[in-house]
Amino acid sequence: MLSCRSLRKSYVSERGEVLAVDGIDLDVEAGRYAAIIGRSGSGKSSLMAMVGGLSRPSDGSVVIDGTDIWGLSDDKLAAFRNRRLGFVFQFASLLPTLRLVDNVALPALLGKRGDADIYGKAATLLARMGLGDHLDAYPSECSAGEQRRAAIARALINDPVLLLADEPTSDLDEQTEIEIMDELLAVNRELGTTLVLVTHNLALAEQAGQIVHIAGGTIAS
Amino acid sequence: MRWLLLSLALQNLGRRKARSLLLIAAVALGSGVVFTGAVLMQSIDRSMAVGFTRLGADMMVVPEGSLTNITASLLVVEPGELVLDADVLAKARLTSLGRIAAQKIVRVEHSGIGSHHESADLIGFEPERDFTVQPWLVEKINRPLQAGDVILGAVRDGVLGSQLLIFGKPHVVYGRLGRTGVGTHERGVFMSFATLDALGEAIGGHGAKPAVLAPGKVSGFLAELSPGATPLQARFAILSNVKGVKVVAGDTTLSGIRQGLAALLDGILALMVLMFASMALMVSVLFSAIVTERRAELGLLKAIGARRGQVLGVMVTEAVLATGIGGIVGVVLGVLVMRLFERSLVYYLENVGVPFLWVDLPRMVAFAAGAIVLASVIGVLGVLYPAWAASRRDAYDLVRSGA
Repeated sequence: MLSCRSLRKSYVSERGEVLAVDGIDLDVEAGRYAAIIGRSGSGKSSLMAMVGGLSRPSDGSVVIDGTDIWGLSDDKLAAFRNRRLGFVFQFASLLPTLRLVDNVALPALLGKRGDADIYGKAATLLARMGLGDHLDAYPSECSAGEQRRAAIARALINDPVLLLADEPTSDLDEQTEIEIMDELLAVNRELGTTLVLVTHNLALAEQAGQIVHIAGGTIAS
Repeated sequence: MRWLLLSLALQNLGRRKARSLLLIAAVALGSGVVFTGAVLMQSIDRSMAVGFTRLGADMMVVPEGSLTNITASLLVVEPGELVLDADVLAKARLTSLGRIAAQKIVRVEHSGIGSHHESADLIGFEPERDFTVQPWLVEKINRPLQAGDVILGAVRDGVLGSQLLIFGKPHVVYGRLGRTGVGTHERGVFMSFATLDALGEAIGGHGAKPAVLAPGKVSGFLAELSPGATPLQARFAILSNVKGVKVVAGDTTLSGIRQGLAALLDGILALMVLMFASMALMVSVLFSAIVTERRAELGLLKAIGARRGQVLGVMVTEAVLATGIGGIVGVVLGVLVMRLFERSLVYYLENVGVPFLWVDLPRMVAFAAGAIVLASVIGVLGVLYPAWAASRRDAYDLVRSGA
């Protein structure tokens, strides 16, 4: 389902070239929950960005569902991200000027999906996340946990094959963290969506079917 | 989707109210100046075309030895026996002269005009070249001047469209001139060269025709200076290139004012262009800062599948909205300023007899639309580069640098 080969990412900083990811090979089977763990600065977020088509690798390839995503043109890659991938970031990633229902519907609207009932589906997803009575609320009127659940709903609006979550609970309290993880695991289990989660919390990774430990830009175990 | 992007742009503008209002105010000021300036400059230009023409010619060129009555305005040549060739100035190709209008003048008695013994000046002019007779028309028949038509000076009586017999030949009173303070002009009966020539036999009676009615002859010329030329330069050029003429210069102050105002309008135009350019730069800097501030949001849009064109579209929509609203406010402000201008300066000018002609409504609407479009174009140009540069960056870089 997901296959990375010789992935490499280097940045140029004032102190010279920094190697964030150094030749990683990774395979994740369809429908699996894989956790990428590692300390801060280990390169796990850079790896996730390359896997998600958000950051062009310095070298190597990422193949998702048979498509070499970095061989696509800019617009085709954008369309691929839109239709096949879902993202949950480690920060409040909703557009502050849109209502929750607009935020959730936005990827479907951007992708010009033919589905006439985009807003109906957005409402259903928000209801599934326990936010059925927050459709018209603005992000600033919601708690951090509610915002994160809305971000999960947004990630699911186009029925992605791969859901990528980059430390989605790092800024949440313990109870909310558990609730958000339950939602993500439910999506993986009930919808069969492949889930790749980046975290530095070992406890969250324990339920994963595959754990990848990154250190110094390479796979440690 | 378009409505969502529009709503997104509107709400983003509302999110930073003070900054958006300042941006709109700056654009309103710029586009208001451009709109008001363009309308006023065109209006002043039109008014100058009429008003300054009414001030008369800059110089009069007559045969050497002619008697001339120096008046405040050079509007008409004086009657006399001496004549010039009609093409004498054209042949000399004088670059210091602009418009040149030839006139023929014949003083007649027993013509049927006025009382029995009253003399009258019949003045022939070329309607297509004239700039000292027709600008003074206060009323006229609604058609072009044609053969057989006469225009009466301010002190002559005659009903518009009525018949006037000159040496027994019927003529139509085509128009009446306003008061000029120049006797010959006010008492004159004006007509085209063809109409005057047709009276030749009657004017000559049993004797010879006046010399000025011979083909290719004129009594003199009224001329305007070319832009930048001085009366001294023109006088020197005429006298050194054309033999047997006398040059009478008008009030040099008027020539100076005419040329000075033309230069002032050019200067104002240059200042408007500079102001517009500086506004474009300011808008560009501001939008550069706005795009930088919104990198995380743009990165997020890219991450969830927005194409580069859509990312650009969000920012351009926002810029067009802000600067377009600024343009509309600027036009409204401009109209208010012009109303004020109309009630003060224009009212005063018209009270002292100086005409002020506003541009017509379709042109004013075109200027307003142009100012609004120009303001929007500034917005588009201002945001285009920063938004384009942001849209080229990796979504992850944008999210990370803006978070």
